[in-house]
Amino acid sequence: MQLPILESINLMAVLPVLIIAGWACVLLVFDLLIPRSRKHWTAWLALVGLLGAAVALFFQIGHFARLGSEAAFDGMVTVDGFSIFLQVVFVLTAIVGVLLALDYLPRHGIERGEYYVLLLFTTIGMMIMSMAADLIVVFVALELLSIPLYILSGFAGMRETSEEAALKYFLLGAFASSFLVYGIALTYGGTGTTRLTGIAQAVTSDALNLPLTTVGMGLLLVGLGFKVAAVPFHMWTPDVYQGAPTPVTAFMSVGAKAGGFAALIRVLVTAFPAIASEWGTLIAVIAGLTMLLGNIVAISQSNIKRMLAYSSIAHAGYILLAVAAAQRSENASFAIGAVVFYLLAYALTNLGAFTVAIAVERDDGTGTEIDDFAGLGKTRPWMALAMALFMLSLTGMPISGGLVGKVFVFQAALQAVPGDPLLLAVVIIGVLTSVVSAFYYLKVIMVMYMREGEGKAVLPLALKTVLAATAFGTLVLGIIPGPVFQMAQRAMLK
Amino acid sequence: MLDQANFLVPPIYYVALSGILFILGMVGVLLRRNAILIFMSVELMLNSANLAFVAFARSFLDVNGQVFVFFVMTVAAVEVAVGLALIVAIFRTRRSIDIDELHSMEG
Amino acid sequence: MTITPITIAFFIMAAFTLGGSLGVVTNRNLFHAALYLVLALFGVAGLFVLLEAPFLAAVQVLVYVGAIAVLITITIMVTRRIMGVTESVNRQWPLAAGVSAIMAITLGFVVLDRFAGKLPVAAVPGDNIVRLGEALVNYDAYLVPFEVASVLLLAAMIGAIVVARE
Repeated sequence: MQLPILESINLMAVLPVLIIAGWACVLLVFDLLIPRSRKHWTAWLALVGLLGAAVALFFQIGHFARLGSEAAFDGMVTVDGFSIFLQVVFVLTAIVGVLLALDYLPRHGIERGEYYVLLLFTTIGMMIMSMAADLIVVFVALELLSIPLYILSGFAGMRETSEEAALKYFLLGAFASSFLVYGIALTYGGTGTTRLTGIAQAVTSDALNLPLTTVGMGLLLVGLGFKVAAVPFHMWTPDVYQGAPTPVTAFMSVGAKAGGFAALIRVLVTAFPAIASEWGTLIAVIAGLTMLLGNIVAISQSNIKRMLAYSSIAHAGYILLAVAAAQRSENASFAIGAVVFYLLAYALTNLGAFTVAIAVERDDGTGTEIDDFAGLGKTRPWMALAMALFMLSLTGMPISGGLVGKVFVFQAALQAVPGDPLLLAVVIIGVLTSVVSAFYYLKVIMVMYMREGEGKAVLPLALKTVLAATAFGTLVLGIIPGPVFQMAQRAMLK
Repeated sequence: MLDQANFLVPPIYYVALSGILFILGMVGVLLRRNAILIFMSVELMLNSANLAFVAFARSFLDVNGQVFVFFVMTVAAVEVAVGLALIVAIFRTRRSIDIDELHSMEG
Repeated sequence: MTITPITIAFFIMAAFTLGGSLGVVTNRNLFHAALYLVLALFGVAGLFVLLEAPFLAAVQVLVYVGAIAVLITITIMVTRRIMGVTESVNRQWPLAAGVSAIMAITLGFVVLDRFAGKLPVAAVPGDNIVRLGEALVNYDAYLVPFEVASVLLLAAMIGAIVVARE
């Protein structure tokens, strides 16, 4: 057996992941030594690890801006601008996930060190997902993303809703995984490989196996569709989002979705360019249905977490529209730039909105109705202002990242219309449903400012920090989106 | 090791069998109400994928398909550990694991 | 396909697998369903042997039958109050039937399509298990998923403890 050659392993390329993985194991041991009343030390230690990964990512940004993409472990993973951009999103989301839990867990009597360890593990899964270059890596990374999230959803174990959310999420997640695995099996049967680039070659060279591969790809889409909560695979979302502890909901509404989209784009764009018009049409149809259902059902919701769950379904639809636009290779890099930009804008806005929901939530898990926001405009003017900004951004109103994201998504779709006229119809649906979404987003603002109420909210320093940072980020993306979008567009996989 | 001439069942028969197994598992998931039964049906689906992998690996004479089976088995073990823990936990508070009775949240 | 010991073995194992899985899907008694699952898993192990993957057959018996099926049985015993399930079909059966029929037609079409094409069948080299083992830990093969899987197992262990301690 020959000795490993360091260049082909390329450990430096996966350094951020290694830092978090190693730190999670260290944290596990430290957590044993930390007394029960001092569990916030574990949180701060987890933050140290995440910041370490953030520093490593910072250095990689410069490195990869110069060099482009780089394969590691002999092509098993690919590190490029796309994966680094998304890894930044994941690490930021994880940092927010820790900060949101800092006060929430003790307030709700569910403080345990394992929360932070599991959070780090699922973050690793997301990061590896964004650089997977082989279906086997997609599969194990997806599981590493999902399994800790099942547990975290049930973290408030004494609450019936939390347990129920965990079991539902688990059963449907396992169901989705088996679709993914069977899809991979058929793809392997059709092409003889699970390497994404190998699949792309096989699909173009050997037409005989195409039906098997196409059905395999379809099943893969089902599996990933569950993760990103696309219609008709969305039914777990409202119950899980509502039942899970709110910091977990915030974390997974962004992280799990972005992870799913990372894998979706990698698989579709890298492995199946030869049948791009087929998956493009399929994704466009799903996008249209997802936008319609998410936005329309969200109108009738009275619970803020449930409303944000349907909102997250709706936003998956807009992102899918950009994914569908990536079918034309000429504007693939613009479309994928739009996807990652939208994901970043959505991450900031949504994390901010959930931060407000956490501040309003009471210690027994109640206080998650939209009516509980009444009076906040008077008692907490700054927080209400930030929430108003987030709601406007989710609707797609000016000076917010949400608007710019939507504009990029629609622009990408319109560019691809010559290849697929169906996209024009879906863009129209997208614009119309954005208008519809104003009903339920603006309702929150109305309740905060117009309705009399107690307006009670607990806003410790950690939440204030997150709120300020996410509001600032949303504004920056809305006012000067140029630099970030250029980075997002250059991010593209070759 | 078997002789080539004796290998008279073409791999595609195994793939067809795996397809039937997958659909049976899917029917089980969609039809049953008991969480443990749903979980067992998911295991059937994973097994069908494994069967397809080994059959394809056999016809390609490729070891990669078999490696994949290895990982699927690992994941199945992980799912069983976490899933059954959740099922037992929910049974302890509810005395029921019928998924049709899990509707404390409505909207 | 002429009748040889191999084909007979195939059909026996296939009958085990399909019969077992039918039992899982249709049986009303939870405990019996678990026993049917064991039968199906054994059948798949037998098919692995016929496909000349003896190592995977052994792992199948050890992991699935030895660990997973036993764990499921224990869970059923712990939650034994619901062992005699009377109502076995949930409310969404028409939807289930429709979706399953579509899947069956699609897969049937694809597999039948594949029957027309040729699948190469050659002898398996003797060092297959060695190759499998090397592939798992080689840096230029499956080292990354192997490590991710080990982290996954650790995460699952912690997760199961978290759930159990409640």
